[in-house]
Amino acid sequence: MTRAATAKLRVYPALAGLGLIGALALGRPELAALAAPFAVFVGVGLALAYRPELRIFVELERERQLEGRHVGVELEVAAASPVERLELLLELPEGLEAEEPNPRLIRLPGGEGRSFEIPLRCAHWGAHDVGQVLWRSGDAFGLVSFEGSSGESTWLKVYPRGEALGDVLRPLETQAFSGNQVARTRGEGIEFADLRPFTPGDRVRRVNWRATARRGAPWVNEAHPERNADVVIFLDTFAEARKAGMGTLDLGVRAAATLATHYLKEKDRVGLVSFGGVLNWLTVSSGMTQLYRIVDSLLDAEIALSYAWKDLDVIPTRTLPPRALVIALSPLLDERAIGALMDLRARGFDLAVLELSPFPFIEEDVSETGQLALRLWRLRRGALRSRYAALGVAIVEWHEGVPIAAVIEEVRGFRRHARVVRA
Amino acid sequence: MALAILAVALVSRSGPGLGWGLAALGGEYAVWFAEQGSALDELTPAYAAAFILVAELGFWSIEPRLEAWSDPELPLRRLAYLVVICGGAAAVAALVLVLAAAGGGGGAVLEALGVAAVIGALALLGVLVRRSASEVDSRA
Repeated sequence: MTRAATAKLRVYPALAGLGLIGALALGRPELAALAAPFAVFVGVGLALAYRPELRIFVELERERQLEGRHVGVELEVAAASPVERLELLLELPEGLEAEEPNPRLIRLPGGEGRSFEIPLRCAHWGAHDVGQVLWRSGDAFGLVSFEGSSGESTWLKVYPRGEALGDVLRPLETQAFSGNQVARTRGEGIEFADLRPFTPGDRVRRVNWRATARRGAPWVNEAHPERNADVVIFLDTFAEARKAGMGTLDLGVRAAATLATHYLKEKDRVGLVSFGGVLNWLTVSSGMTQLYRIVDSLLDAEIALSYAWKDLDVIPTRTLPPRALVIALSPLLDERAIGALMDLRARGFDLAVLELSPFPFIEEDVSETGQLALRLWRLRRGALRSRYAALGVAIVEWHEGVPIAAVIEEVRGFRRHARVVRA
Repeated sequence: MALAILAVALVSRSGPGLGWGLAALGGEYAVWFAEQGSALDELTPAYAAAFILVAELGFWSIEPRLEAWSDPELPLRRLAYLVVICGGAAAVAALVLVLAAAGGGGGAVLEALGVAAVIGALALLGVLVRRSASEVDSRA
């Protein structure tokens, strides 16, 4: 707690002193009569000023919320002795906005408490520390002010909002467990695949009677089984382009949350690799628990500048299971991320890259040199995309404002005729 | 002159400037007194109330503005305080004048006592102000 004297406390005694000295010098009691009230004011004011004993409690309505929605905060303050003027400010991190007035100026009667409900709008995803309250109190005479802070940290997790996604990318190869993906292999299933001659052991219900009648020998239907898939979301956190509170990392995190939600709903196993200055990973798993693990991990995603060289060898093998579909979300600004993605393709992973375009987030230089540099940079990025495409990697540039469904559809168009080729 | 200094202090939101303006206002009053002769001015309590009202309103005007929702009763309470303070100032000024009138000729001893009382009062004020100056409380 800090105690500070106001300007009045410096001026009033000076006025009182000048008046009294003037009264003595000139022999006029009227000057003493003018000055005396100031002296009495200061004396009484300081005698009545006391340190406020405040009790402040902050309680969040909930600990988790989606981006764009609201959370209520209850602020309760009480004092044993009256506080004539009390300013209260609920300190809010960037990403949370108060929908009611904040700060507030109130009067606190002694022995009574007051409580306020402050609705907060969760403007941006992340883990936000809410709970610190800054306060400043003043006495009735305005001579002394007290300032302090109170409250305990309470974490509010704001999850990135997902987008509507009709259909997701189908992996080239599926896994052995039952799921919703139609596998390319043949076995028990619903989707018709082919006809073949009957072999001992085949079920009678699989006999195709029309083909059997035509051929004069039993023929059976073959189907594509429904299997699940392993999907690894690869988030590049080496660098980002950012402008006015939005950046490529925001696009990537929201896309990661959307994709994870949809794949887990389809009973697929989803993992996460946050590849950057700080390396985080989650091994593939399924279910609602895995979704919470993934979004909690995404809340920690941040750009941490690092000059250390990193490659895929630092990632545990089980994080990138064989035959997994790897969906990379990257602005392709850092050589390490570019190299790691090419390395993934070289190792035979089924890779698709959503390039988070940095162009909406840069300040364009209107000079001739600036425009030339920008064109050269665009050409270099186009050449990089061509290199990925030549390796068989589906890569699509994604601009801010374009729905992710459109981007996924473009990737699917590229992969429609993809075949697994093994040398 | 005093009004000009006060106006500049209000526009620039300067506390020390406001102090100088108030001191100049008091000085102009003192000069006016000197021209009136030796009779006690019976309107002094009214001037004292007005003087402290000008001071209080001036400091209220230059308080830091904060975009905050405030209790509706706060300005009313503050106005009530102003009324009480002005009344108290008038009463204290009237008391000083009564004491001054009752003192009569005074004499050297009484004058010396008066000087000592003024010095003591100013010293006490200084101590109180110094003790109330910026301090960080390690308890909080």
